[in-house]
Amino acid sequence: MRRFYVPLILFLLMIMEGVALELLPDKLVGGSMMIVPHWVFIFLLLVAVFYDRRDSYISVWYAIIFGLLIDVVYTEILGVYMFTYAVTIYIIHGLSRFLQSNIFALVLFGILGTAIADGVINIIYVVVGLIPADWPWYFIYRLLPTIVANLIFLLIMYPIFSKRLERWSKEKSFNSDTFSL
Amino acid sequence: MPFFRKKRLFILLIGMIILVVLIGYSLREREQLSMPEKFINDTVGWAQSVIHAPVKFVTNVFSNIDDLKKTYDENKILKEKLSNYKSLLYDSQELKKENEELRKTLKKTESIRDFTPIQATVISRSPERWIEQVSINKGSLDGVKANMAVITADGMIGKIKSTSKSTATVQLLTGFDQFNRISAIASGKNGKKIFGVIEEYDEKTKSLLFRIIEESDKDLKKGELVVSSGKGGVFPSGLVIGTVKDVIPDQYGLTQTALIKPAANMNEIDNVIVVDRNLETDDTEQKQEDGK
Repeated sequence: MRRFYVPLILFLLMIMEGVALELLPDKLVGGSMMIVPHWVFIFLLLVAVFYDRRDSYISVWYAIIFGLLIDVVYTEILGVYMFTYAVTIYIIHGLSRFLQSNIFALVLFGILGTAIADGVINIIYVVVGLIPADWPWYFIYRLLPTIVANLIFLLIMYPIFSKRLERWSKEKSFNSDTFSL
Repeated sequence: MPFFRKKRLFILLIGMIILVVLIGYSLREREQLSMPEKFINDTVGWAQSVIHAPVKFVTNVFSNIDDLKKTYDENKILKEKLSNYKSLLYDSQELKKENEELRKTLKKTESIRDFTPIQATVISRSPERWIEQVSINKGSLDGVKANMAVITADGMIGKIKSTSKSTATVQLLTGFDQFNRISAIASGKNGKKIFGVIEEYDEKTKSLLFRIIEESDKDLKKGELVVSSGKGGVFPSGLVIGTVKDVIPDQYGLTQTALIKPAANMNEIDNVIVVDRNLETDDTEQKQEDGK
């Protein structure tokens, strides 16, 4: 049963992203700032750091699945979130070997990961001609607010899930070979 | 170790190929979503409508408190307006009756103004802000089809982008690009109609660009209402789009472009009406109906 907790939480977060903009005050949403909730990504980051062992890539598989789900449900342009989340989570998974998994390392991962993920998504959208390439505007009005907002979310999620994920990881039986790359 | 690096590079390359294929697939002119996409949209849509109710309740409590503070001032203004509306209502009813009678004598009972409303509730909004779309809880089972106009009480908010069985995606006016044009009319106070095309949404000025086709541009003034004309063949006529904010010449100085402020607030959309035009739309859907 416990192995279903992680995908269940991810699914719930994905649905919550759809109403996230309603929870924010109208001034923040209606203004010129573009805050994008990457909640699924933030939780995947926690999964990569606390739940995955060195040789298992469960978080990357979840990134592919839930990235694709976000693409289907929210953007109708398939592949963008799937590719971006998977690559970014893979990088974070690799980096987490070098740093101890404490709060400071996690904040660093959060900033780095959100920046890479959101940056790559924007690069892809610019390349396919969906949006204009206005990089200074992007950095000030979208990237910075997005990183700050998602960092706050990470700091809320960290105390709730860091210990739990580690426990679930230990209780998880050893036959996780089906998920390893 | 070089073996593993090669493997990693190989996987990345395959990933990129899949990405390009998927983007290419989804960006081409699709008439319908694929089956798996529809299935996912239905399933997630069901979960979204479950989650949406409590979230809405909480946000409503806060906005209700906000509303209470403004109630007194609003009430004053509304009372003043109400007295005006009564005479207006009488006028419009008389005109409607007269119009109907005249139509009967002409034996022309259907007009492009008529439509069947389909009530729907917004269940989610795309977190990706570049893509301005919301999901509603009515789908093809309720008669919603692609390209139908979507309105709120204030005015038009967009059109249906795609449908699944029990949900549909609405592309908002703020996400309209050059491929989604609306034929529209600005009606001046002296009864002159100014025809034009709503071309796209301009992010910088936060307004829709209304390109005026005719040269009667001098009549267009600030604050005038722009409504859909129904000449585009998909939307009914008379849907309020917005008000004129400013009139500027285009980059070649040949035509005038008006900046239109959308009438509906795009950030707070809750209950919407999908507009099913009664008159046949000149679209491919006609063929499907004939085939039945």
